[in-house]
Amino acid sequence: MNKVPEAVETRNDKNEVQDFEPKVVAFLCKWCSSAGSDLAGVSRLQYPPNAVPIQVMCSGSVSPMYIMSAFNKGADGVLVSGCHPGDCHYLKGNFYARRRIYLVQKLLKFIGLEPERFRMSWVSAAEGVKYAEVVTDFVKDLKALGPQRKLKAKV
Amino acid sequence: MVAIEDIRARAKELLESGKVRSVLGYRRGTASVLAEPAFVTAPEDTAALVLDATCVENLALYLVNEKKRQKTQRSQDTRPLAVVAKGCDGRAITVLLQENYIKRDEVVILGVSCENGGMIDTHKLSRALRGKAATGAAFDGNGGIKVAFTAGETTVPAAEVLAARCLECTKAYPLVSDYFFGDKIDERSYSPRFTAVSAIAEKSPEERSAFWAGHFERCIRCYACRAVCPMCYCDECVVDSTSFIVNPTTSADEKACRIRWIQRSASPSENAMYHMVRAIHLAGRCTDCGECERVCPVNIPLRLLNTMLEREALEMFEYAPGLDPEQPSLISSFRDGDPNDFIR
Repeated sequence: MNKVPEAVETRNDKNEVQDFEPKVVAFLCKWCSSAGSDLAGVSRLQYPPNAVPIQVMCSGSVSPMYIMSAFNKGADGVLVSGCHPGDCHYLKGNFYARRRIYLVQKLLKFIGLEPERFRMSWVSAAEGVKYAEVVTDFVKDLKALGPQRKLKAKV
Repeated sequence: MVAIEDIRARAKELLESGKVRSVLGYRRGTASVLAEPAFVTAPEDTAALVLDATCVENLALYLVNEKKRQKTQRSQDTRPLAVVAKGCDGRAITVLLQENYIKRDEVVILGVSCENGGMIDTHKLSRALRGKAATGAAFDGNGGIKVAFTAGETTVPAAEVLAARCLECTKAYPLVSDYFFGDKIDERSYSPRFTAVSAIAEKSPEERSAFWAGHFERCIRCYACRAVCPMCYCDECVVDSTSFIVNPTTSADEKACRIRWIQRSASPSENAMYHMVRAIHLAGRCTDCGECERVCPVNIPLRLLNTMLEREALEMFEYAPGLDPEQPSLISSFRDGDPNDFIR
């Protein structure tokens, strides 16, 4: 009796590895990174469609809770992207974000999550190419890591 | 240790003069070897105050509780509350002052130095006594702790039974106090700081993941860690979400769309979420009083999470919590030299 579900599971696992498409939740600040991702789109740059953009008003408004919750709900990777230091629309929001995100990253690492699953980047409104690059690299690394199960809620 | 007569005399004087509404200190408990927290309101009761290696609790918690209680009180006694504060408790009070949760004139701090002492760990103590129930513990003056139990008395080396946080403590006296008792000793001969954290941090990600999964699996979500923490003073905790009121007119849609950051069920993933959120909320605020770990009924090493972030704050941002009530808090400040190379 026990063997049947096991067999099913391994088959599923194999399928998952074969055509595993990582889910990336990207928190993009409205003033820079979100515009940057728009630019990547209108410039017809090719980049993986795995990142789900969530527009936030500032990278400083990204609560650590959003990040952990994303992992909890099944994200394979989380990207937080904001304006370059000094370019923040709210003058210093991204400096606060930098400090906070650093701590979150260390905490996730300490808990045992692969540090590559969580990233932060500075992408300005003119850097459509950089945004495409960041997402491409991220998805490539996540594909190598496989699905994230450590923090995902078991349904 | 500090002469308890001085503290009693000061407490008595404060109560007699009516400067404070009560004195928050320790007295002999009835349940175990540990001293219990006591609100002393009558001057003659100050004779019951004690201070020794069994006064483990962080009394800053009761300042917070008292503050919360006062909010619902109709007639208010606005006189300050005097509190006996060890180094870690004193730092916790400083953080509360820094966050403006309590005002400086609402509290009279009777700072005490642990000097070369510290507080015992009951787990370690019962291990050292091989299960015998201790009835008293006091420093013997030369690196040992004299432990009394029902059938006799023995002396054990202090480092064997002191709480881990006391062994790693570097500031064993409060920096902010109204009255101070004891000597300020900065150099203590115990283990270096962050020994436990470094040991975990050196493991491989898989080992760490397995380590924490094993611990979080056991969590029963009793919230003892939250209840005992003086920094967990939010009126509504993110795990409770009690402000969402369900009444007959609440639609199914509203109920479905309400944000549940963390489910209440004690499943491993939700427990991990809870403890991570708690750790990040305590970043730069936790003063390492070790109470969360002490009260945990399933012995989850919660102190590790907090001290890990404390270490990062110290090493990367040169921030130590609870030293100065005027300094901006860790995550409400930044410097140009903050680490930037982890960002693409």
